Amino acid sequence: MARKALLISPELCIGCRGCQTACKSWNQLPATKTVNEGSIENPPDLTPNLYNKIRYVEMPSNSNMVRWLFVSQRCMHCDDAGCIKICPAPGALFKTKEGAVGFDKDKCIGCKLCVAGCPFDVPRYDEKDKVSKCHLCSDRIAEGLEPACSKTCPTGAIRYGDRDNIIGKAQKAGYEKLYGQVDLGGLGVLYAFKDSPKIYGMDERPQIPETVVFWHKVLKPLAYWGLGGAAAVSLLHYLVIGPKKDEGGDQL
Amino acid sequence: MTVIRKASAFEILNHWVLAVSFLILAISGFGFLFQLEQLNAVFGNFNAMKNIHNYAGIVFTASLILTIFHYLPVSLKFGADDIAWFLNGGGYLSKKSKVPPQDELNAGQKLYYIVILLSGLAIAASGFAIWLRPQVPDIRKLVVLSHLVHNIAFDLMIIAVPLHIYLATLANPGTLRIMITGTVPLEWARKRHAKWVRKMGY
Amino acid sequence: MTNHWVDVKNADVVLVMGANPAENHPIAMKWVMRAREKGAKFIVVDPRFTRTAAKADIYASMRSGTDIAFLGGMIKYILDNNLYFRDYVANYTNATFLINPEFKGPGELDGVFSGYDEKTRKYDKKTWSIQMDDKGIPKKDMTLKDPNCVFQLLRKHYSRYTLEKVSSITGTPKEKLIEVYKTYASTGKPNRVGTELYAMGWTQHTVGTQNIRAMTIIQLLLGNIGLAGGGVNAMRGESNVQGSTDYGILFHILPGYLPVPSASVVDLKTYIEKFTPKTKDPKSVNWWGNRPKYITSYLKAIYGDNATKDNDFGYAWLPKLDEGQNGSWLMLFDQMFNGKFEGFFAWGQNPACSGANAGKVRKALAKLKWMVNVNLFDNETGSFWKGPDMNPKDIKTEVFMLPCASSVEKEGSITNSSRLGQWRYKAVEPIGESKPDSEIMNELYFRVKRLYQKQGGKFPDPIVNLTWNYGEKDASGKIKKVDTHSVAKEINGYYLEDLKVGKKGHLAVNFVSLQADGTTSCGNWLYSGSYTEKDDKVVNMMARRGKKDIGNLGMHPEWAWCWPLNRRIIYNRASVDPQGRPWDPKRAVIKWNPDKLDPKTKKTAPGWDGDVPDGPAPPMADEKAGKYPFIMRADGMGAIFGPGLADGPFPEHYEPLECPVQENPMSKKHRINPTVKLFYGVTGPHDKPVKDGGRPEDIFLTCDIRYPYVATTYRVSEHWQTGLLTRHLPWQLEMQPQQFVEISKELADEKGIKNGSKVTVSSARGKVWAIAVVTDRFKPFKVMDTTIHQVGLPWCFGWQHPEDGSGGDSANLLTPTVGDANTMIPETKAFMVNVEKA
Ligand code: SF4
Ligand code: SF4
Repeated sequence: MARKALLISPELCIGCRGCQTACKSWNQLPATKTVNEGSIENPPDLTPNLYNKIRYVEMPSNSNMVRWLFVSQRCMHCDDAGCIKICPAPGALFKTKEGAVGFDKDKCIGCKLCVAGCPFDVPRYDEKDKVSKCHLCSDRIAEGLEPACSKTCPTGAIRYGDRDNIIGKAQKAGYEKLYGQVDLGGLGVLYAFKDSPKIYGMDERPQIPETVVFWHKVLKPLAYWGLGGAAAVSLLHYLVIGPKKDEGGDQL
Repeated sequence: MTVIRKASAFEILNHWVLAVSFLILAISGFGFLFQLEQLNAVFGNFNAMKNIHNYAGIVFTASLILTIFHYLPVSLKFGADDIAWFLNGGGYLSKKSKVPPQDELNAGQKLYYIVILLSGLAIAASGFAIWLRPQVPDIRKLVVLSHLVHNIAFDLMIIAVPLHIYLATLANPGTLRIMITGTVPLEWARKRHAKWVRKMGY
Repeated sequence: MTNHWVDVKNADVVLVMGANPAENHPIAMKWVMRAREKGAKFIVVDPRFTRTAAKADIYASMRSGTDIAFLGGMIKYILDNNLYFRDYVANYTNATFLINPEFKGPGELDGVFSGYDEKTRKYDKKTWSIQMDDKGIPKKDMTLKDPNCVFQLLRKHYSRYTLEKVSSITGTPKEKLIEVYKTYASTGKPNRVGTELYAMGWTQHTVGTQNIRAMTIIQLLLGNIGLAGGGVNAMRGESNVQGSTDYGILFHILPGYLPVPSASVVDLKTYIEKFTPKTKDPKSVNWWGNRPKYITSYLKAIYGDNATKDNDFGYAWLPKLDEGQNGSWLMLFDQMFNGKFEGFFAWGQNPACSGANAGKVRKALAKLKWMVNVNLFDNETGSFWKGPDMNPKDIKTEVFMLPCASSVEKEGSITNSSRLGQWRYKAVEPIGESKPDSEIMNELYFRVKRLYQKQGGKFPDPIVNLTWNYGEKDASGKIKKVDTHSVAKEINGYYLEDLKVGKKGHLAVNFVSLQADGTTSCGNWLYSGSYTEKDDKVVNMMARRGKKDIGNLGMHPEWAWCWPLNRRIIYNRASVDPQGRPWDPKRAVIKWNPDKLDPKTKKTAPGWDGDVPDGPAPPMADEKAGKYPFIMRADGMGAIFGPGLADGPFPEHYEPLECPVQENPMSKKHRINPTVKLFYGVTGPHDKPVKDGGRPEDIFLTCDIRYPYVATTYRVSEHWQTGLLTRHLPWQLEMQPQQFVEISKELADEKGIKNGSKVTVSSARGKVWAIAVVTDRFKPFKVMDTTIHQVGLPWCFGWQHPEDGSGGDSANLLTPTVGDANTMIPETKAFMVNVEKA
């Protein structure tokens, strides 16, 4: 199946947060009691019950008193997903056939490693310590529907479709390179940024933490080969040299 | 045949606690590392395995700390004989090679203990950090670091422990009994821990 | 809207002023974004940098309440730079009309137009008259040069609105003004079109109507009315506000904008005489000339067989206003406050939070004997007696709560801003004891009727004579269940006798077939044609879902149905030149087709292609049958000169009732709109409040150091109106949990207010606490060489919910009791407050 993706165009986003509510509605996520902390951005961060949040960025501007950006913030459905990589529990985080990164709370063991493996600080944990994040409405897309957020978005700031298609369309619209087009093997959530990603609160070059990569490439195999090696060396020693015999004299 | 006591009952007990908890940790750790669903036959499921891993970790840590009283002082004594021991490959490299007289623990055992203690403490500390997620400014950084430390320590131990088991069993007949009865034949000890035997007044 | 939602995408320039669609009409914002994607320039003018402003190509900030100055400057700019669409202006507007030479403007009369009477605060409009020739047709100067022609008067009036002056009033930097003017005026060419979207940011001012008038003048000058991508478009604040207005929810209009008669309009004949405009110009369609048909058919619809020729079709039973009586919101609550009402139905509303000067409203409620609260939830209105500053022991008002069904629990039509009547279906059954409003009314009606029948009463006729044929009747004659379809059919109208246009008992085809002799019925002429018969089959036109389009303009004539006659863009005859050729062929709304084939007879029958035209008559240039485009106006012309309004034929800048400046920079004498009704006395020369000028509840203070900051109120996308529906939705509350006040960093520094801290916002009438949102999205204005701060706060919160009181209370506790001179819509968008650390 063609890999699916979302295209997020902050240029088109009007910050109405229809998507934020639609997401909660479809996923039946309870609300959190919040307070206004001097910003309309609320809740201030992703939570286990908030998969998709609009980030509001106020920036200095040349032509106006301010520049105000709205960006949907959520799981990026990385191809090379740090969360899956680091996760010790089989099936807790997984790729769907559409290329979404889904999760299974029953299989999640609540070790909370995945948020450390995620370049975007996405996974959150519920009161039972189970992982919780955007899953690209995997239940909807499996049925051929589009995710709740893109379905709700009035302006087309969130669009869903075949990843290649979406990239093609964005290129036609003048976005030569999308954020996430190649990073981490290609993200499943692409951003049409007019400016440096930093301005939108995103890492210029998102990366899985180096140590996690090192662990994955070196330490993990080393455990395997180390154990095997130690056993092999022992066996070899036993066969070639053999056990200590108490002939000979004392240690004197 | 004269036997002398080499390990107290408590030490034996503690060693086995350490050994068993380590085995549980290592097996489940391997399970996590390679997502070995076969282990569900043992642990039931990964959630249970995680809990067992965590609690075994507590036992392991406590036991490891207790070993300090048993092995650390002697392990820190490192002299010319110890170096010579190493230069002779511990006498394991050929049937003929000889090693100088050794303390209660031979140089290899001393080094082994230091490795186990350090990596054990590291794996424990990092394990607890991952488990308990202390309130720090950047928990993700701490977890990533802990994850690294946990795995380096694991790699060290997963290499060292099998060697230890081999050396303490097949490679050295008679050694295992220390961890069962706590005693060794005097003759046996003379051949391996001469300094200690002398110190004990034999 | 003159146009419709989808049509916004056709514009070359979109101006949003007096509105914030990204937050309050997010779905509609799609079309703005669509236009922008196609290269349109998007201009936003607002005191605050809103979410809409964030999307603008050009944003200009402007002090609340100075729109007319801003737009007046634009008119001057257009005229000075000859950017108007001359052919359009000369042919389609009253710019050419000659006005009474006695007419004088505020430039000559220190702030007022000729005819002002200070005592009555009203105009005698004698001098605002149009000169007529001996045939009774307006005298024109097609060269636009006559000093008495509207065009020259307009030029003279707005010559006072220089850039410097405007900038010093609005606080908008001059360069920004020019940028906006230049961009918007670029649509004065036939192939360029601009649209304007407004909402409560324009209407809720003492000069609200004139705000919109000013834009209308601009749109007429630029030739933007009637064209695709043009128009003056009111974005209604609720999904069905358009519908409720069409159906006469206001005190002064019956369904279909038929005036409510006053007591002196004693019979139908007088009514028709008084309210049917006349023209002697054969080229003017003067559609309102059909008024007799509409009022008669309306009476037949509501009184049925009881309405006969002999009893004047039951005209006497229509409710009448007392002479000069005003029944607008502010007046109703003022009267209630005065103890003039016994009971009150708060139906689908929450005046304790939504009403301007909500403190006064809450006190007024306590004067009632009873109140019926019909709503989805109990609210601050129904529970006013246990609200803040209330002593339940002292309050005698008996409150009844009637739970009603939500929109998804009932079937019927709604009409959106596009004038589009769309049929909606019931998705789920109403919860618990809640009932659709129509059922509640049905119960009420039959009970009241029975009481009248049993006990008699002063004037039972209007009630007992109503038709009320909305479904199956039980043994007692009561309708068992209201069938909304039969309501919709009654609205559409029937032929009551065999007529040339149709057979007795059939649904009227549209309002063109209505009669003034009682042979047709129609509940609302504008909707005639919405539920009709085609080839003897009954069709609910509003339930249509066809997606066909015309010329890729998004008109979608088969999607639901819009009034009038499914015409998607009204005044579309102005979109073509006098020969019937579209001004912009790429955006042809309609087009005269001399070779058109009649689909039935297959013969040529010249006619219009495209949208439903404003009447089938040939183009205006046709000597014999050509007609003017503005068919709803007696003279057929777009009104640049508008003598119909209470406060002047041209919009003039007046300060809000409460403002930060001593005097109106445009006039030494008249600070505020001289024709607004005052609830609290003023004294000259700058309309300051008189000492003891009225009740303390109505007090206002202007240019007063105790309340130094301009304030405005608004909605947020996360909440709906007073928040009654959304404060009960935890998801919405999560995003927008508490009353906040947005203030500039500069003001915050001055006052030592930290972002996120609690502050008190107070006005002369009340105070609320709020969380300070310190932001760059408000900046101080330079007004008349002084620095003026403005703040803003939403009015979607109320004390009752969230139950722990963490939401705060309504910003309307701060707003004043004063309304627009024409509509009495309260001025809640500009008033003065103080902000202090709490
Ligand atoms: S964004 Fe984070 S949680 Fe989502 S797939 Fe990538 S690594 Fe996993
Ligand atoms: S629904 Fe669309 S426009 Fe609204 S906040 Fe979400 S992404 Fe932005």
